[in-house]
Amino acid sequence: MTALASDKTDYDVLNTVALKKMATPQVVAEACGLPRTEVEAALDRLAAQGLLVVAGGAALPTDEAEPALAAAAARRYGAVRADAEVGGLVERFETVNSQFLTTMSSWQQVDVGGRKVANDHSDAEYDDKVIARLDKLIARLGPLLEALAGHDARFGTYPARFRSALERIDRGEHEYVSSPTLDSVHNVWFEFHEDLLRTLGRERTE
Amino acid sequence: MTAFTLAFDEADPADVDRLGGKGSGLARMTRQGLRVPAGYVIGTDACRAYLGTRTLPDGLADEVLARLAALEARTGKTFGGGPVPLLLSVRSGAPVSMPGMMDTILNLGLDRTAAVALAEATGDSRFVADVVARFHAMYAETVLGALDPGAGIGDLVADVGPRDDAGAVYDRVWAACEAALADDTGDSVPADPRAQLVGAVEAVFRSWNTRRARTYRDFHKIPHDLGTAVVVQAMVFGNLSDDSGSGVVFTRNPVTGEPGLFGEYLAHSQGEDVVAGTRTPDPVTEALAPDLLAELRATCSELERAQGDVLDIEFTVERSTLYLLQVRSAKRTPEAAVRIAADIVAEGLTTPATALRGVSVEQVRQVQRPGFADTDVERARSAGRLLTTGIGACPGQVSGVLVLDPDRAGERAAGGEDVVLARTVTSPADLHGMIAAQGIVTATGGSTSHAAVVARALGTACVVGAGALRVDEAARTLEVDGRRLHEGDDVSLDGSTGELFAGRFAVSTPAAATGALGDLLGIAAAAGAGEVLARVTLPADVDAAREAGAAGLVTAIDDVLVATGHLDGLVAHLLADGGVEALDGVADLVAQEFAPVLAAAGDVEVGVRAIDLVADEARELLQQTAVTTRHPELTVPLGRPALVEAQLRGLERAVEKAGGAPRVHLAVRHVSDAAEATALRELGRGAAVGVGAYVTGPRAAFAAEAIAAAADVLWVEVRTLQAAVFGIPARHLLTAEPLDGYVRRGLLSCDPRTTLDPAVADLLVRVAAAQEAGCRVGMRLSGQVSEEMVAQLHGLGFRRFAVDAAEVRPLLLALGKAALQ
Repeated sequence: MTALASDKTDYDVLNTVALKKMATPQVVAEACGLPRTEVEAALDRLAAQGLLVVAGGAALPTDEAEPALAAAAARRYGAVRADAEVGGLVERFETVNSQFLTTMSSWQQVDVGGRKVANDHSDAEYDDKVIARLDKLIARLGPLLEALAGHDARFGTYPARFRSALERIDRGEHEYVSSPTLDSVHNVWFEFHEDLLRTLGRERTE
Repeated sequence: MTAFTLAFDEADPADVDRLGGKGSGLARMTRQGLRVPAGYVIGTDACRAYLGTRTLPDGLADEVLARLAALEARTGKTFGGGPVPLLLSVRSGAPVSMPGMMDTILNLGLDRTAAVALAEATGDSRFVADVVARFHAMYAETVLGALDPGAGIGDLVADVGPRDDAGAVYDRVWAACEAALADDTGDSVPADPRAQLVGAVEAVFRSWNTRRARTYRDFHKIPHDLGTAVVVQAMVFGNLSDDSGSGVVFTRNPVTGEPGLFGEYLAHSQGEDVVAGTRTPDPVTEALAPDLLAELRATCSELERAQGDVLDIEFTVERSTLYLLQVRSAKRTPEAAVRIAADIVAEGLTTPATALRGVSVEQVRQVQRPGFADTDVERARSAGRLLTTGIGACPGQVSGVLVLDPDRAGERAAGGEDVVLARTVTSPADLHGMIAAQGIVTATGGSTSHAAVVARALGTACVVGAGALRVDEAARTLEVDGRRLHEGDDVSLDGSTGELFAGRFAVSTPAAATGALGDLLGIAAAAGAGEVLARVTLPADVDAAREAGAAGLVTAIDDVLVATGHLDGLVAHLLADGGVEALDGVADLVAQEFAPVLAAAGDVEVGVRAIDLVADEARELLQQTAVTTRHPELTVPLGRPALVEAQLRGLERAVEKAGGAPRVHLAVRHVSDAAEATALRELGRGAAVGVGAYVTGPRAAFAAEAIAAAADVLWVEVRTLQAAVFGIPARHLLTAEPLDGYVRRGLLSCDPRTTLDPAVADLLVRVAAAQEAGCRVGMRLSGQVSEEMVAQLHGLGFRRFAVDAAEVRPLLLALGKAALQ
């Protein structure tokens, strides 16, 4: 546990595995912005501590992973938690987050005479408005991500992931909006949110 | 003088290249005699000139101002003045709709004088404060690129009283907006209405080259030099008087599809009041004055007739004059889509081809999606089985075993159980469990929570925010208002109403699937689309398949024997050594178990597939390795003729037992040679059961004519054939991965799950030729049918298909669409 608190690579790797629940070294390397060899070495160390298991080429967290991460985060991120600038930006993030969730819903469902029905994506203009809104909402995360990246470079990996998802969306690959199985805008946002909460030692409310 | 601009009533609606999509639509409406607020279009040529020089082309500003004077004369309003100020909307309108283009700017033209005049005309300074703030925010955001304009201004606006001094109100709100914007971007919104207009026009031109628009054009190969038009239109006011107002109307009910106007109207209001929910609107049929209602009705039915579709119309009444602001094809529920399509054909509003095009196979699937019977739900409620009601997040009615942990949900689902996953809250780490579950329920969260978003992405029935639920993960119990359920208990949920019930419900096809959908599919069938046979396994499946519109049935010997509990017996018979008599047991099983299916089938055609030991699907079930190691001859279609004979004998006896009515054939998989077909014909000589072949590989398709010459029927397993040609295991054509990712990477030019590959289409041309010799040739589809592939097959001349029973209706629709293409 002390290793996790002091070794940044180990923390980042276990954090990513816990966020994704199941991840190959390649995926972890991309999400952490670390070389694959370093990720593999970290996975071995973490497996030896019983914090994750590697099965079929993918790492899965054990039941010990969450408490270990929570304890390590408490020690690692005292400065982030005390940072008033971050605190203020996190307050604002709550608003942006709820706008994001509403926007995501309007991507999936449209209102028809007071009833919600699945968006069949036949109205390009409507879809474009939703995407434009997502684009803006992601831009609004910028200051928070920057402030967090000032404490921990890990948060600097999120903008690139958002950008890559948005580029695919603009090319017409609309599944990168909300697919739960791709590195979609929705998935990146949620991983960021989880990561943020763990860093701050908070619980998610919904 | 170069004319860059055209008034709506001067423009030729067909000139989309110059007018853009929106401009052309407004010109068309004007030409049809529909009253839209007056306005004009700045053509795409002006944009092209701007993009070349980065300045407005010479003469454009003068022309814009001259048009303004004409608009003033036409509307009796004054730009930047009173008594009633002329306000404008400015929009982009490219010839091809694309993302990233500038949004609408409304209420353009407000300076202090106009604001004061507007307050006098409406008698409402609060409204003016709101319009000023809204305009400033829109302009700041769309023209100047401000990120979050108007934040904090809301309170200032809310504090304004209707009778406050309008000049002072304007000064206060404008100054506050400007201060906020200066903080954000250092920019300023011009106070002069004419400068606002020119600024907005330039912003539209610039938006042609935003990153998103360029990316989109690159990807879709749209030329970068088309340019966009600009639509400038007078605004009308619904809040000038009591005989003004605004509303939205659907030409038919978009939820149920019922005929008759459906919508809302709010007197003395602007459209925003309705959207903001600050005042409750009234049903349009009650609130609108009789003469206006009559005019609206007439307009709606005219528009429906002209467009052959149900429309969603935004309108404003300004001093008893009705203006149409926007007319769009109405969004609708799947139930409404089906009913509307059937109705508009019956009413002669449109052709069957157009009506069918308005419905997708996915909508048909949703309409026929099995659900609980209303009476069962009612009984459960009164019996106290309703545990709690949360928020319906994704529709669907499902029953399953309660599971409180995503890992265990995955395990139990893999074991074949229907699972309802209950969580206090879900996180991305729960995804595997959510994918495995048939239904999801959470104690916390609203309709936008993580659980709701993921459930909708997965199409899984989901209830969120069921606050009464207390999940105890350690004890594996769920408490609801003092009642305790344990993991593994049966529960049911309704993702529309948000209800969670104890116990299970039977599920059945909803009434809507047999009513309007039946009518619609009747239209499809009348188009001569072809016949569909449905796959069944048990006698109980037959009625549902016939009701869905199946003209016949297909089934398989191994499927039926496994479903009736004879798996072990079948494997034992297959493993046994010995001659013909060893297979009498197989004949007995077939005779015994097929009689009830055939009796239920009545006099329709029934296609039976023979036992297949090399099928991907049968590998584990039939202990393929053990059986084929001992009897390698079973891996070729006619390696053991006695097995085919036994199945034929069994079927003959079953037909006899069932009363002799059904027309039955036995078809053998993997036949690829005319000699095999001839040998099969010999085995079937004199039998009351026909014989046929299943084409599964390229060689068989290539030889189809010769094989067909010796067969009564020929089936092509399209998925297996595609898989063989691609060299991909056939089972991968039924799942999302690996092909989703592979196609996304651009490594396959054709997705074999949805599209017929050209190589396969070439082979099928040879198969189609076999039809001419009189053999009944059919396409066996599996999994969800693809509209595109059905259209391709129809185009190749195939009119006979077999599918899973649940896909009969979607296939009938797809065939109807193909036939009427």
